[in-house]
Amino acid sequence: MSEMISEPPIGRLEGFRAVFGGYPAAIAGLFGIVFFSLIALLAPVLAPQNPFDQSRLDIMDGLLPPVSTLMDGTISVLGTDAVGRDILSAVMYGMRTSLFVALVAVSAGVAVGVVLGLVAVMRGGWIDAVIMRAVDLTLSFPGVLLALLLLVVFGSGADKVILALAIGIWAQNARLVRAVGLSEMKKDYIAAARLAGIGQLRIMFHFLLPNAISPVLVITPMAISGAIVAEATLSFLGVGVPITEPSLGLLIANGNDYLLSGRWWISVAPGLVLVMMVLSINVVADRLRDHANPYLQVKA
Amino acid sequence: MTNFILRRLGQSLILLIIMSVIVFAGMYVISDPVAVMAGEDATDADREALARSFGLDQPLPIQYLTFLGNIARGDFGTSFVYGRPVLPLILERLPATLEVVLLAVVVGLLVGIPLGIYSGLNRRKVPTKIISLGTTVGYSIPNFWQALLFILIFAVWLRVLPASGRGPTTELFGIGWSILNAEGFRYVILPAANLSVALICMQTRLARSGTQEVMYQDYMMFARAKGIARPRLIGRHLLRNILIPIVTITGLELGTLIAFSTVTETVFSWPGIGKLLLDSIYRSDRPVVVAYMILITLMFVLINLVADILYAVLDPRIRYA
Amino acid sequence: MAPLLAIENLSIAYMLGDGRSAEAISDFSLRLERGRIAGIVGQSGAGKSTIGKAILGLLGENARITSGTITLDGTVITRFSEGEFAAIRGKRIGYIYQNPMTALNPVLSIGEQMIEAIEANTARRGEAARTYALELLKSAEVSHAEERLSKYPHQLSGGLCQRIVFAIAIAAQPDLIIADEPTTALDVTVQKAVLATLKRLACEQQIAIVLITHDMGVVFQMCDEVSVLCRGRLVEHGSTAQVIGAPRERYTKDLMAAIPSVDLKRDRFDVLDSFANTPGRRRGIAFLKSGIAAARGGEALLTVNGLSKTFDTRGRRAASGGFRALDDVGFEVFAGETLGIVGESGSGKSTIGRAILGLIEPDAGAGIAFQGRPIADMRSRRDRIALSRSLQCIFQDPYSSLNPRMSAGTNITYGIVAQGLISRAHAKVLAEDLLEVVGLPRQAAGRMPHAFSGGERQRIGIARALAFRPELIFCDEPTSALDVTVQAEILNLMKELQETLGLTLVFVSHDLAVVRQMCDRVIVMRAGRLVEEGRADQVLTYPRETYTRELLAAMPRIALEGAR
Repeated sequence: MSEMISEPPIGRLEGFRAVFGGYPAAIAGLFGIVFFSLIALLAPVLAPQNPFDQSRLDIMDGLLPPVSTLMDGTISVLGTDAVGRDILSAVMYGMRTSLFVALVAVSAGVAVGVVLGLVAVMRGGWIDAVIMRAVDLTLSFPGVLLALLLLVVFGSGADKVILALAIGIWAQNARLVRAVGLSEMKKDYIAAARLAGIGQLRIMFHFLLPNAISPVLVITPMAISGAIVAEATLSFLGVGVPITEPSLGLLIANGNDYLLSGRWWISVAPGLVLVMMVLSINVVADRLRDHANPYLQVKA
Repeated sequence: MTNFILRRLGQSLILLIIMSVIVFAGMYVISDPVAVMAGEDATDADREALARSFGLDQPLPIQYLTFLGNIARGDFGTSFVYGRPVLPLILERLPATLEVVLLAVVVGLLVGIPLGIYSGLNRRKVPTKIISLGTTVGYSIPNFWQALLFILIFAVWLRVLPASGRGPTTELFGIGWSILNAEGFRYVILPAANLSVALICMQTRLARSGTQEVMYQDYMMFARAKGIARPRLIGRHLLRNILIPIVTITGLELGTLIAFSTVTETVFSWPGIGKLLLDSIYRSDRPVVVAYMILITLMFVLINLVADILYAVLDPRIRYA
Repeated sequence: MAPLLAIENLSIAYMLGDGRSAEAISDFSLRLERGRIAGIVGQSGAGKSTIGKAILGLLGENARITSGTITLDGTVITRFSEGEFAAIRGKRIGYIYQNPMTALNPVLSIGEQMIEAIEANTARRGEAARTYALELLKSAEVSHAEERLSKYPHQLSGGLCQRIVFAIAIAAQPDLIIADEPTTALDVTVQKAVLATLKRLACEQQIAIVLITHDMGVVFQMCDEVSVLCRGRLVEHGSTAQVIGAPRERYTKDLMAAIPSVDLKRDRFDVLDSFANTPGRRRGIAFLKSGIAAARGGEALLTVNGLSKTFDTRGRRAASGGFRALDDVGFEVFAGETLGIVGESGSGKSTIGRAILGLIEPDAGAGIAFQGRPIADMRSRRDRIALSRSLQCIFQDPYSSLNPRMSAGTNITYGIVAQGLISRAHAKVLAEDLLEVVGLPRQAAGRMPHAFSGGERQRIGIARALAFRPELIFCDEPTSALDVTVQAEILNLMKELQETLGLTLVFVSHDLAVVRQMCDRVIVMRAGRLVEEGRADQVLTYPRETYTRELLAAMPRIALEGAR
């Protein structure tokens, strides 16, 4: 990579300003992302209680509304659930699971998708045909149903959820990279590189990848928030991550049974956090996408 | 055009076969259906007898072909839970799902497209910014949690709409529909609204980005230059162009909506095929799950095919390619 | 009586995102009488199209008319509302757009687009509008008019689409037509016929035309008077004969000097070349000379025999047909010469180069030999490297031929570094030296491609090709995307390099005048076949073949008595 001369750092700062300057919602979203990531990362330190240590839970604390005093004298800000678990602590730990699953699934999906998309562009012919038919097949089936099916067959668990989500994500990215890559391949700088005797692998990673990756980076935040929602949905339906490492979706499902009896806090708190997290990512994603859209740029 | 349809049909067939292999493998190979059916305290002899009676002692390829053959004859087996043939079980719940989904699509198109065109034409105005923020928020609220909120607000706090179940139906073509019945309609509102929120957001964005893109095209400027008035410019030149992707994508999204109706139906206890699927998953009612997956794949294949053909018909560049 | 169109001291500014504004047009004036044709000529970025759009009220929402007025037949239209403009567009002012393929809505039929314009601008409705549309098509010389009405734009050629645009523009018998580069997207032979139609229509109906173009030849052929525009300012205005024959202003003189003539070969264009004889430049030239074998006259460097190329057009069924881009082409390139390949779009001229360079696989049976060895036999890694060292290319589009993620310097040397022809440490200095050889400053090496203009990028592309010290450089329309003055600079540079280094060039162009300036011999291509071959002065002065004659006749010429 020593030959790649990147933009100087000052350009990055200017780039940041060009993208986010004058868009307070997007900047708030950036802060939100940092805030939620920090909490998820530091949950074991910040949380008032370890919600999964069964020995610490007291059934007498069950179903307390927000701002109640627990048996051990501490105050539960967001109330407790049926087994006396502090909701605030459970939400903090739940964010960890949700973010972890989404990030791993998206990273895996993007990596596989980008490489396969590039391979399809470089090799063409039957390899391209096989990869693209696989993409078509994957995308012709709604992701949630595909995940549901996989989880029913293979059983639930964080690893299986990650696999199920990554399957939907790789296909999208492979299709995108192939489309962008094909138009880049027609450009003469690639012909020049071939003419200079540069090998296929080097063209793929040093010429094609840097020029075809931008659209992928633009949709990646959207993919992450989508994965968070998908994981929450699967866990809400009871086929996602197990109760031993509950994500936000499972916490909401737990509260579902108490909703009609007016104990709304069990579902609402994790739900609100989930929405805020997804919203933070989406406003940033929107800004990135609008910025990349040539039709929205002021023509000088 | 005929070639195109034939090629698509071929691809669809491959998708169906792959799906049937996955479902078959998942349901009959990876886990042992005999163990499930026989229960914990069955003897080896019991198991063998059971396996033989279901043809499970045959080699796998034979079992798979038998499985395919049965499906081709419309025989999806008998539900463990309901003790009835699976196919009619699913078909009788289909109208409930269809009425919610179709209502959501109509609402989505009628609300989304005008909002999208407005915000595409008036980029800097305040309503545009509100619409834009609204779509982002709408996108960010997970479907299932939004359903819970609807129940909490409209059923628990305000007590204006029913929280669950399907109300009385009115018969049309021998099928009961809730939307044709004033009381029944009250039951449809929340599930349909729940499904349509994401759809409205999507339609708004599609229409908005389509409008922005088309308005910059040379032919729009040329149409203005040749003296075409604004109503026709928007109603014909713009709309005709943006409707092509909107119609196609909406067609494709029908499949996703039916999939998402699983969530909506579960939360609202709406007796459609989605709720049936989840109930069957919880109760390990395999024949129902298998039949659902195969039928829904078939449905997607048809929807995708129709959407593709529609796209080709709407866009002369493809029609006469 | 007031003139039909009067533009007085018009200034237009574009608002930039950060609150600043950039002036696109400064203090421009023009008066045009009925039935006359006024040219507005200028290079890219001069603001020609902006004036045309301002007359029609079609400026973008970020453009503002900061001062001045536009008057149409005595009425000031500068502050018209969109509704008021809609009432004169199409009725009193017609518009002809640069690219006919994008001017028509792709999803509406030709008939609908014509009839809606007729109904919007005339009293004709329904069947009467349809009949009139047929009439218009006939007068715009569109054959099979009835059938065309049910077609969609992508089913018709560019020339036909432009005639349909003409028909729409004249539908309401307007007083004025704005024609914005009406033939730029078309081949010369089509251009000639289309311009003739436009001129006839204008004469018949006494329509005044504002013709916006970059091409002095078109101006000479069409216009009664001409305004020369440079960076938004009016440089010179006068009758066509005066401005072209005896330009008063320095800018116009330079512009005229940069225009290549098909009838006269000049050693150099009379434009300012800035080659400081720096140590870096001398070092760069020495490096190039040390590696490029001096031309041995008369020896065939490259021989091409039976070269054919068929492109798959319809998937697997290609075997039965497909598009024949090249059909049995054969020629030789001699060391030290410049061979021109000319032809219109689709003639296969670029495909020849791609096949020679190994970027596409020719059909079986083709014989391409370099220095006597068949290229098909040179399969070993060593041979391929030797080949890529010997054969290089300068590409047509300066905007896509450099890797946008690499600095100019790296773009020049990555190839020779990858092949081990030079060490990484030397590459940096060499890149800087070569930049000086092609007339750019050393500091340019560190900048990214987007920081350069089209002409500068093309210089970087030349440096990249030179870095290999190749025996033969294939130049694929290297100046067709450039303004005429920049083209003159690049052509001068290439001539200078060829003389200094004894390069062998294959020069592909659609522009006969450019070929005349650059080439010793030419081959003429048409629809994949070689039509004529010979010495440049012979072929371009006394062509033997009818097609070459047609091409020459279609060239918009500037032929003034005693010009220059």
